[in-house]
Amino acid sequence: MARQRPSGALGMRRRLGWGLFLLSLLLCAPLRAADVLLTASEDNPAVRTFTAELAAQRPQDQVRFVALEQLPAPGQLPSATRLILLDPQSLDWRLQDPRGPATLVLRISRLQAQQRLQGTHPPGLSLLWSDPPPSRQLHLIRKVLPQARRVGVLYSEDSQFLLNELRGAAQSLGLEIVAEPWDSTHDSRPLQNLLRNSDVLLGLDDPKLYNPKTVKNLLLSSYAQQRALIGPNAGFVRAGSLASTYSDQQDWLKTLDSLLEQAPNRWPRALYPADFKVLSNPQVARSLGIEEIDPQAVARQLSEGEQRP
Amino acid sequence: MSVGPSPLRLSLLLGMLFGHPALADDLFLDGSALPEVLTATRLKQSPAAVPGSMTVLDNELIRASGARDISELLRLVPGMMVGAISGNQATVNYHGTNASEARRMQVLIDGRSVYRAGLATVDWSDIPVAMEDIERIEVFRGPNTVSYGANALMAVVNIITRAPANSHGTRFKVTRGQRGISDWYASQGTGWETGDLRLSLSGQEDDGFDKNRLGADYRDSKRLNRVSLSVSQLLNEQQSIDWQLNAKEGTNQRPYTYKPVFYGVTQQGKDSDVIAKDYAGSLRWNLELNAQHSLYIQGSAQHWDRQQTWRACDAAISFSPELTRLWQINPNYAERLARGIKGFSDAGAPPPGSPAEQAIAQQVLTQWSAGGKQTVCGNIDQSTRETRYDLELQDTLSLSDNLRLVSGMNYRYDRADSETYFNGTLDDTTWRLFGQLEWRASEHWLIQGGAMYEDTQLTGNSLTPRIAVNYLINPRHGLRAVYSEAIRSPDMFENNVNWSYRVTGLSSPVYGQSSAQYFVRTRGPGNLDQEHMRSRELGYNGYFVDQALNLDIKLFYDEISGMISEPLRNNQYIASNSNSSRFSGSESQLDWQLSRADRLRLTYAYVHAQASNRLDQRLTASNSGSAGWLRQWGQGWSSALFYYGDSALNGYRFERIDTRLAKRLALGKANLELAGTLQQRLDHQPSTFADNRYDSRHVVYFSAELEF
Repeated sequence: MARQRPSGALGMRRRLGWGLFLLSLLLCAPLRAADVLLTASEDNPAVRTFTAELAAQRPQDQVRFVALEQLPAPGQLPSATRLILLDPQSLDWRLQDPRGPATLVLRISRLQAQQRLQGTHPPGLSLLWSDPPPSRQLHLIRKVLPQARRVGVLYSEDSQFLLNELRGAAQSLGLEIVAEPWDSTHDSRPLQNLLRNSDVLLGLDDPKLYNPKTVKNLLLSSYAQQRALIGPNAGFVRAGSLASTYSDQQDWLKTLDSLLEQAPNRWPRALYPADFKVLSNPQVARSLGIEEIDPQAVARQLSEGEQRP
Repeated sequence: MSVGPSPLRLSLLLGMLFGHPALADDLFLDGSALPEVLTATRLKQSPAAVPGSMTVLDNELIRASGARDISELLRLVPGMMVGAISGNQATVNYHGTNASEARRMQVLIDGRSVYRAGLATVDWSDIPVAMEDIERIEVFRGPNTVSYGANALMAVVNIITRAPANSHGTRFKVTRGQRGISDWYASQGTGWETGDLRLSLSGQEDDGFDKNRLGADYRDSKRLNRVSLSVSQLLNEQQSIDWQLNAKEGTNQRPYTYKPVFYGVTQQGKDSDVIAKDYAGSLRWNLELNAQHSLYIQGSAQHWDRQQTWRACDAAISFSPELTRLWQINPNYAERLARGIKGFSDAGAPPPGSPAEQAIAQQVLTQWSAGGKQTVCGNIDQSTRETRYDLELQDTLSLSDNLRLVSGMNYRYDRADSETYFNGTLDDTTWRLFGQLEWRASEHWLIQGGAMYEDTQLTGNSLTPRIAVNYLINPRHGLRAVYSEAIRSPDMFENNVNWSYRVTGLSSPVYGQSSAQYFVRTRGPGNLDQEHMRSRELGYNGYFVDQALNLDIKLFYDEISGMISEPLRNNQYIASNSNSSRFSGSESQLDWQLSRADRLRLTYAYVHAQASNRLDQRLTASNSGSAGWLRQWGQGWSSALFYYGDSALNGYRFERIDTRLAKRLALGKANLELAGTLQQRLDHQPSTFADNRYDSRHVVYFSAELEF
């Protein structure tokens, strides 16, 4: 190829152009044609759809999904690979090996991380939280229930570590966190106590407390006391929570897009997605005598608030 | 292979949920299938959208009031007239009517009516529910037969007990105080994977009023024990059952009131106490077909047993068949003869009357002289046993986001058994069909209408409509206009009484028998119609968020026609539908959470009653109300101060201040609450009736409650 190159001023200019192009390619290489590898323990259409959508969003990258069982140990993957983990099992696999490519951990909650990492933060891992950020949920409370001051929070030993952060966020909003441990969900006295002493209930994404078995008691008891439940996730809103913020696939695609634009060494160690939506249950709002919530408008206002701290 | 919902189904589900195709198959939305709990069928109207006036007495208020009886609590409801016939017989009616018979209000415990069809009454102190088991009381102020069935003529008191799921743990409570107050309560609640239960035992005792108008001891104390079991059990995602068993036994003292009719009888009996036993059981099966459709079937059985026997003495002539015949021909004439028999006998001539009456009267006078004046004592048994079986199906269907239909049917069988009142057994069956449609025409307009059709074996059928329009200024503030009709079926007593006394165990045989029939006999007309109520109401309900203040105002104009006003008496009870009443006025209710520590509650009612029978104006206080201030002082201290006032109940003013001071102590995992209640009457009048008097204008009682 070099032997066929033309000579003269034109050739010089062309050479310079190529040089610049190569240089820029070299500089941009990690940002452009990256190898984005998604993995999860289970290969299913949802995962495939997500991979396809991410690939469509990042035509310049090579985006592919490989099931966990087909992958070698993390350290054997090329270091330039950007690894995206889609479930806790894949995180377990990634944690086996301190070496390995830069990794974005998706679909992990604060609680799951706490249980798996016990407060440590292995290098090379960027944790993208799946549960709604406490401060965002508190802002949502301020928005839809401006008169509420005492925010009731049930916690288990798993979720206890979140309380301090929650209290801090509440304080800056003029809210008070009324926390109540709920050790046994068969015993509803803590819930009753809490409902008596708070204006609204905030659900933490703690599957020990908020699960299909407890949902009925939680929602019926709070409704009986005319207390709204905020959170813990979109599924609960459908079951009868008043409202919650949440991030769906589109939000996560946007978040990933902006992260993949950056060099992995600039990835944050942990992150709540900046893109989110609000979901409300209009029937519940109506029954509680609460003004209709416009999810888009509320999400926009919350988002604007987050952008100018 | 994945277990559980297929991704396709899941995505469909989520697609339906968010109504946004782009979100289907979303990897980030929690797929764990949560059931829809607060469904359109389960959610109730917000206070501003309720098609009528409602007062809710919540748990905090009930506790703070220090009240020992449900009837006392109802003083907190605007327009509710709470009086007392005696220390163990409360009389409660909304807006008024007769002071001694409060029979126009429906009372339900967890959906089961405790209104006694046989004797047209609610035995407030015998309701087999402990105050400590009550979660809240919802009072629907106004007629609502569409939702609650006949007899919901003037108001509905809906007593809701604590769900077993909310009653876990152990509670003990003891109350002691002046006037012989001695109450206790114990409960144990527990839960398992799919269900919960609560067992509670309780007892109550007090001396009632201290003295009657003559200053003599008033025999009206009460003593009772109750047991109640409440269980809820989840069968699967869609189905659950709730069942309850309640039993109560007790004694209600009654003063001895029998006065011999005939001259010269001085012997008399002592007392006529009532042994009251109540049994109830109910079973409810709830089925959630889907988020838009649910139904329940509730069956209940109840038995009221009132044993009342006493010894009475009168002249042997009381059992004369001739005197009985004379009573049947002309009760007035017979009574005149009986009360003045000595005079007529001395004069040797019966009172003036028709020849036939005089002929029989002459025979009676002859019997009087021939040993008829001899005193005879015997046992009178005025016991009643009433049984009710009730089966109800109610279906709630959410046709769309803005349209909901509640419909159902009800079957009821009532049987009353009393030698004295019914000369044996009497029964009645009732069929009921009802439907109510709620239509949210727009963001602001809400129209709710319905009708009930009822067919009663003893009194025939009726159809009652109801329509309410609510205008919601916003979700928290609403104006309402309501028109409703309601009926009350005459009860068995009013319509079919066959009142006579068979006296047994006679001290000396009469006509060779040891038992005999007393000459007075009263029969109900048997053809009474239902009472009919037409009610019109304009109201406002609003919640001011910034002030945390709830306000309800109501203007009303109610008319009852075909009213049965005659008092239930055994001498000359001539019931008819010939009376009418009108009630008009206004009510307001304010509940204000002044601060986190202070709650203020005010109620006021102005009621103007006009009745064709003046007895129906007796239980209406034209001005009545309550004021309450609840405060948490911190460190476990709390206080409550209530004022209750009625300008005149049956002619007597009623004003009282109740103060309760409580201190909560944490003992490890347990909680102990010590409380003292002082009730201070501000007026010097008897309570509702002249015989209801206390020695002192105040009473103090203390309670200790341990919870762990």
